[in-house]
Amino acid sequence: MTKLIGYINGRQVEFDDGKTVLEVARENGHFIPTLCKMGELNHAPATCRVCLAEIERQGNGGRKTVTTCNTPMEANLHVYTRTQNVREKQRLQVELLLADHDQDCATCVRHGDCELQDVAQFVGLQQTRFGNEAFYQSRTRDSSSPAIVRDMTKCIRCFRCVTVCRDVQGVDVLTVVEKGLSTEIGVRDSVFIGGSDCVSCGQCTLVCPVGALAEVQDAEPVVDFLYDPEIFTVFQFAPAVRVALGEEFGLAPGTNVEGELITALRRLGADVVLDTNFTADLVIMEEGTELMSRLKTGGRLPMFTSCSPGWINFMEKNYPEMLEHLSTTKSPQQCFGAIAKSYLAQRMNVAPERMRVISIMPCTAKKGEAGRPEFYHNKQADVDVVLTTREFGRLLRREGIHLPSLQKGSYDNPWMGAYTGAAEIFGTTGGVMEAALRSVYYLAGGKELEQIELQAVRGLDDVRTANIDIPGLGVAKVAVAHGLKAARKIVEQVKNGEAEYHFVEVMTCPGGCICGGGQPKGKKSYHSSKQARQQAIYAIDTDAVIRQSHNNPLIKQLYDNYLGAPNSHLAHKLLHTSYVNRQREIRHTMKEIWEEIS
Amino acid sequence: MTVIRYGVWEGEVIDNRDRRRFEIADVPGFEDFDEFDPGNSVLAFFGGKGFFVFDESADMLEAVQKHIARAAEESCGKCTPCRVGLQVLSQKLMELRQYPKKGKMLDDIQLLADQIKETSLCGLGQTAPVALAALLKHFSDEVLASTSRPSGQGAATYVTAPCIEACPAKVRIPKYIDYIKEGKFTHSVGVVLQKYPMAATCGRVCVRFCELECRRTQVDEAVGIKVLKRFVADKERYVTDSWFSKDLIAAKKPDDLKVAVIGTGPAGISVAYHMLLRGYPVDVFEAMTEPGGMAAVGIPEYRLPKKEILHKEISIIETLGGTITYNQRMGHDFTLQDLKDRGYHAIFLGLGAHRGKTLGIPGEDRSVEGYITGVKFLLYINHYFIDIGLPVDLGEVMVVVGGGNVAMDCARSALRMGVKEVHLVYRRTKSEMPADVEEVEAAEREGVIFHFLSHPTRILHEDGKVTGVELIEMEIGEADASGRRGVHPKEGSAHVLETNFIVPAIGQGVDHTFLTGSETLELDKWGLIPVDGSTMMTDIKGVFAGGDCVSGPATLIEAMSQGERAAEAMDDYLTYGKVKFNPERRMSKLLEGIKKINADGVDVPVQHMYRVEIPELDPEVRKRIFEEVEKPISKEEAIREAERCMRCYRVYSVVTDK
Repeated sequence: MTKLIGYINGRQVEFDDGKTVLEVARENGHFIPTLCKMGELNHAPATCRVCLAEIERQGNGGRKTVTTCNTPMEANLHVYTRTQNVREKQRLQVELLLADHDQDCATCVRHGDCELQDVAQFVGLQQTRFGNEAFYQSRTRDSSSPAIVRDMTKCIRCFRCVTVCRDVQGVDVLTVVEKGLSTEIGVRDSVFIGGSDCVSCGQCTLVCPVGALAEVQDAEPVVDFLYDPEIFTVFQFAPAVRVALGEEFGLAPGTNVEGELITALRRLGADVVLDTNFTADLVIMEEGTELMSRLKTGGRLPMFTSCSPGWINFMEKNYPEMLEHLSTTKSPQQCFGAIAKSYLAQRMNVAPERMRVISIMPCTAKKGEAGRPEFYHNKQADVDVVLTTREFGRLLRREGIHLPSLQKGSYDNPWMGAYTGAAEIFGTTGGVMEAALRSVYYLAGGKELEQIELQAVRGLDDVRTANIDIPGLGVAKVAVAHGLKAARKIVEQVKNGEAEYHFVEVMTCPGGCICGGGQPKGKKSYHSSKQARQQAIYAIDTDAVIRQSHNNPLIKQLYDNYLGAPNSHLAHKLLHTSYVNRQREIRHTMKEIWEEIS
Repeated sequence: MTVIRYGVWEGEVIDNRDRRRFEIADVPGFEDFDEFDPGNSVLAFFGGKGFFVFDESADMLEAVQKHIARAAEESCGKCTPCRVGLQVLSQKLMELRQYPKKGKMLDDIQLLADQIKETSLCGLGQTAPVALAALLKHFSDEVLASTSRPSGQGAATYVTAPCIEACPAKVRIPKYIDYIKEGKFTHSVGVVLQKYPMAATCGRVCVRFCELECRRTQVDEAVGIKVLKRFVADKERYVTDSWFSKDLIAAKKPDDLKVAVIGTGPAGISVAYHMLLRGYPVDVFEAMTEPGGMAAVGIPEYRLPKKEILHKEISIIETLGGTITYNQRMGHDFTLQDLKDRGYHAIFLGLGAHRGKTLGIPGEDRSVEGYITGVKFLLYINHYFIDIGLPVDLGEVMVVVGGGNVAMDCARSALRMGVKEVHLVYRRTKSEMPADVEEVEAAEREGVIFHFLSHPTRILHEDGKVTGVELIEMEIGEADASGRRGVHPKEGSAHVLETNFIVPAIGQGVDHTFLTGSETLELDKWGLIPVDGSTMMTDIKGVFAGGDCVSGPATLIEAMSQGERAAEAMDDYLTYGKVKFNPERRMSKLLEGIKKINADGVDVPVQHMYRVEIPELDPEVRKRIFEEVEKPISKEEAIREAERCMRCYRVYSVVTDK
């Protein structure tokens, strides 16, 4: 393609046709501040109006001020990015942005990590003359969801959340409501997010540049438990947490901080530090056995995995007629809670009422999962508090613990303190499938799979499929989908009889738990750490001594000494669950619609 | 005639404040600006490119504050300068009267006005503060002069866009497109349904005055406004049954305040809909056995499926409590007097123009087999072939005469009926055809043989059957006073085309049999029913009319808009005894006058996004069947197409005496 010639700040630049002024300026080292744009999502709604520059077209006298993110670069166009006019307009724009933004920064979840604060710095903002509480005080502050808080007094209308919810996840609950100063990001067909079709995946919280969408803050009760002498705290953390938490402390993406994390929890005062990976191995035993039984007895196929709570919400809210396809096995988090408060409590001689199970999860939906009524026994939850990776990072900072400077610790619990490589890969898309196949192969045929790294289900394509010949079972047709848009595709195929699978793994978030809604987030970047985190997960598996769940000695011990066998009566009581139809009937009359259309 | 005392328009300053009336030149376009409503002078006007003051007593501060406040209220709230800036501006203008350091405040106002104007995302923010900025820059003394106390002058504001103004029904097009962007399809179709019930019909057959005015054409191509309407109407059609109920009727009127509507065409249905929504009991009378008027008989099935689309949309009338009685032909089954006797206090005539015009050439005889006028031909196919399923033999070769949509419909329908050769004869050139370009192109693709600059001079028949038509070639002559070049026959070019079927589709007139001897309704020289343009009332009190029987053969959207207007007038008539002033319509009329100076270009680069392609049935397949040719677009395509809309909103205000 021939290069075109233009000019930026008087300097000649070459560029390809179709690029925006912003892209050409950046490629040539001219900085222009942006706020609403998000490159990875191809998202440039041009609503913040901060990325201003002056342009002058050849033969069309006079300069015009334009936003560079959506103005195409043209041959012979002159662009000026740093004139006094441009700088003043950028500064006034940010001042206007702050005028209807609740500037109570010190209490904001994003304080110190806020893209609006950054842009205020970029433009050299020194005063805010137009702020007016009346401009934003009537906006929605929505804490109806157990997972996500919506504070529209903070929203700057970048619409990244709408794009993620609609185009990445295909959930499409976030939408624009109202007009004028009341405009905010609302919830489709509902006023509050708790009563909506939101699945709590939290992907929106990963892209929000400010504190308008964030996870529910649950750290306070954890501190209460830690300092209550009557309470016995048991901590678990999920496989994806250890490869991401380091980013909260400036470590490179994909740094495995498992050892430091164990030490940090002990430093905090945890009574027992354990790993969700232990119950991930347990889930493989239960889910694998369930799959074999469905295959043998003609049960409902394909069987869908059930570890990912956003996916469960999605199915209950969108496809209630297909709930029988979901594995009844609880997620590793919930299996952990159930086993800790029964088996572990018994072995450690702690009354379950005194025990509090606290999870550290890459996930916002896990908060809602822990609160499901079926996971309560005698008014006590199996899992008491769920913190996201981000919240846990903040908690450590609050307690003065600098993670990178800690010694590495290791597990010492003789009942639940061991895990396999198969459990660790639960943290990435394809991992549950791979772990399950490793064990089902053995459980069905009595022989270990030779090539345990199943490349066909690895990778990051939306949907991956494979046919695996399992002695004793036959050819298993499997599929893996991550991100709910891809999941919907598979569900529709199954529903319409267009695809015949036996076993389907679904993870709510693109990439799986490594990119969960509770993971450390980047500024102006979406999932930029995905590959590094995934590689780190696979490296942990590669380095593991034991790499199949059925070979975890403590899992064998748990079955031998307590549960009996997979899918036994006790196993069913503790480790299996059921699902409910939570589809909402939406009926709009034109009367209501007309009342809304002003 | 009003004169401009001072003002700024597109940066050009006009200052006649020191001149006397006779020293000031009249500016064309403002002929209509003397009064807003009777006895109420227009003192000043604000638009997207500036303002004009016609009377120096205009309170400029109050006026411009209202103008900005209206814009702030209309802001979509997405981009920063428009959402927040207009709000701050409006507040500051309000405070200015009492504020001691006016110079400082004016500086702030100027700064904000410039910022909003130059950095807003869409047309609303870009243009709303233009008048204010110009006023402060050139006439700040006038603003300061009016800071003592509010004058209490009258004001009206109006928010519109070029596409809205082009639409006869003034559908709020950018609004329904915005809702598509947000994935709120029900809201989107709701915006259309505020104007008329036939959204899916209009989404198929509208002639799109709006797209002609779309400013996107200056960037790449017009936004697919029609296809977007069809998308939302189709998408939501399956749930519409629960949408309409009598709940929609705000306040029920007394049972004896009955309204009669004659005709179930677009005009009649529109009147019935709006009268029902206003709470009146409405009875509709239809001459034929099926509803839809010209939309049913004049538009072939492959462009507008009757059962799933048209009939379903018309059934909204019954859902809202109206009745439709079929086989009731005015002048045959009842008269105007009968309706009055039955207690109808307001009557709407939506009779249509169903009588096909003849060519006026030798050999033309309605009784000859193989001669049938265009609309009758379409009715014949719709009724006998599609509805009843009778076999219809049209022979092997057919000649259609005319260049409008009806002619295209006849030619394309004939192909679908199995006619091997369909010739279309038009006396002028292709580019002058009044039919939609898309219709002409579709006909060409399907294999219709066009004869441009060709005209029939004689119809040949033997034994009561058509055997051929004599054609003559036409030549283009000199342009006449209006700039249109005439055509005249070329000597010695006559030749005969053998055919057994000739369909003149050169226009329709009103069938006058609706008037019986005793009725007194006057018709104009074209045989149309004259009405008062603003009230749609005929010269008989309480009798209104609209659609083709008033305007001559026109479009669906014009008929529907006349229907709405008539309903508004009927409501006023039945409530107040007279028709009330409508400031929005008046504003629209004012804008028509200054259309020339108000038009604006796109002067910054805009990313190209080409218009969505509408999937179609393969011409080879479709030319033999009546299945709908245009297929729906996907949700993703619709959202992308919606995002092409540049939201060319403009705010207009007038200041008036009272």
